[in-house]
Amino acid sequence: MKVSYFETGRYQSPADMPGVWPMPSGAYDSDAGSDVYRGMVERISFVEKLGFDWVSLSEHHYSPRILTPSPPMAAAYLTSRVHKIKFALLGPIVSHSNPVRLAEELAMLDTMAGGRLVVGLLRGTTNEALTYDLNPQESRERTDEGMELILKAWTEPQPFGWQGRHFRYRTVSVWPRPLQQPHPPTYALGTSREAGEFAARNRIGLGVSYGPFEVMGKATGYYRERCAKFGWEPTAEQIIFRANIVLAETDAEAQRAMEAYPARAPFALGNGIASALLELDSRNIAGEARPASINRALPINFVGGPDTVVEQIRRCRELTGAGIIDLGFNTPGTADPKAHMAALELFGQKVLPRIRDI
Amino acid sequence: MAFNEAWVEADGFRIRYQTAGEGPPLVHLHGAGGLRLNPAHDLLARQFRVIAFEMPGFGAEENQRTRDMAELAATMAKAAQALGLDRFNLMGTSFGGRTALFLALQSPELVRALVLEAPAAIRPAGGQPPSGSPEAIARRLYAHPERMPPLPKVDPRLAMQIAVLTQRLRGPDRDADLEARLRGLTAPVLAVFGTRDSVIPPELGHLYKDLIPDAHLVFVYDAGHAIAAERPEAFVEVVSDFLEREDAFVISRVKTVILP
Repeated sequence: MKVSYFETGRYQSPADMPGVWPMPSGAYDSDAGSDVYRGMVERISFVEKLGFDWVSLSEHHYSPRILTPSPPMAAAYLTSRVHKIKFALLGPIVSHSNPVRLAEELAMLDTMAGGRLVVGLLRGTTNEALTYDLNPQESRERTDEGMELILKAWTEPQPFGWQGRHFRYRTVSVWPRPLQQPHPPTYALGTSREAGEFAARNRIGLGVSYGPFEVMGKATGYYRERCAKFGWEPTAEQIIFRANIVLAETDAEAQRAMEAYPARAPFALGNGIASALLELDSRNIAGEARPASINRALPINFVGGPDTVVEQIRRCRELTGAGIIDLGFNTPGTADPKAHMAALELFGQKVLPRIRDI
Repeated sequence: MAFNEAWVEADGFRIRYQTAGEGPPLVHLHGAGGLRLNPAHDLLARQFRVIAFEMPGFGAEENQRTRDMAELAATMAKAAQALGLDRFNLMGTSFGGRTALFLALQSPELVRALVLEAPAAIRPAGGQPPSGSPEAIARRLYAHPERMPPLPKVDPRLAMQIAVLTQRLRGPDRDADLEARLRGLTAPVLAVFGTRDSVIPPELGHLYKDLIPDAHLVFVYDAGHAIAAERPEAFVEVVSDFLEREDAFVISRVKTVILP
């Protein structure tokens, strides 16, 4: 099993903030913001030393929760300061983006970072459609088309035009091309039938997140089935499982920390918007309809002391087939950076060496 | 727009065609399935005088005379000339794309601009045209057969006649002589490929740009082999823009003002 550290920025507000989305940008504290980017370098250097395989970044907007609205920009900064670990962008929100621009930026990044880029292509959480005034009902179609265009832009040797449904170009010919050929390891991110189908058809990986192992196993099982239909078999490393982890020296200590874990997302949408979005945004897991997750806190999949967590990771591998876990380290009830670093160190020393053969 | 059926005598054949519209002439040569009008023909006829030929042997009458693609192309050039066309836009679909390329090479003075829809001038090794039941053919032709109207039932005698004819005329999958001659093609070319084409893979598209001096390559997203039938608006928009403005079709005229 390989391990990725999900770098969220960890903005620490000096004052109490209202828990709403969008967060008023007037509440932003520039010193705290500067600490975010300094802290990223410190943490990523630390997990690199501990032997983590990847660090991951993701795109979110209009709140302090994850302070990387532009993952390629964050990665450009970080890859020039931390020199060995791979950077997984999980991912840029394709439905928001000019796909050709994204193909260019990711190719630049891969080249500047010496071929250390991993790309996850994401539809985006439901509220994110509000960021750039996009219709949430079009997000899946825009994502599918954008992903296909990005792959095309990386691989076509001649300038080409694109007559899409949501995107149209008369001339595409990206420079630079990615250093890794034909393109960096790329994943469709999502549990839906459409994500699994797309990934299988285009022979790329699949990234799933946050659900129970059994449920995520349905999504990865569907993906593997479709890969077989298209005449290939994904490797374990082509399946990423992203999850939250609460790790402590003992199970009891981890359980105590869990008691402080909130039920509601830290920056919630107003009720009217949330219920309207729920109606507009259809989601599914391998074809089974599921409501979008709005305003609920994300679950914790791995919780306990090192022994327990090792067993949970073993079970995760068995049920989902994932060869990479991308971990968001949580220290509920405390914003203490030292506690966070201690959890990372504990993972590096007591868990990481024991999961390599899983 | 209503198409009218008509016939023209040329090169010893009585050739059927469908025609509609006014404007610059646009001659269409169909694929190996024969002449079948689709919504793209209607859209093109709003801007062009569309002449969709049924090539000899693809209809009621057999054609045992034409020996190869060069001869078929020569016949179709004569058919266009018999209609009084001395310079026209030419569009070829799949098998007819190969015919259109031969025509443009043999009679460059006739062809103003050339559109190739999923052309079969370069084929994957061992590739075969769609065949079998209408359902089986639809699965080869379309990325989303479930969204398309059902194909008409096939008369087995006609299907056999067409299969024999196309096997005789289609030529090798890769024709080194043809590909060498493409370097001398003078007409501007637009080669259009469906991103989900399983008959002529879109990955072959760049070869037309590699070989033809003045070529453009366009992918129609989420279309199978029958691009014009499956995504007619997307196909016609780029084709008519190319035929109207040639190289300058790459300059967008799309307005993005939302609220003036």
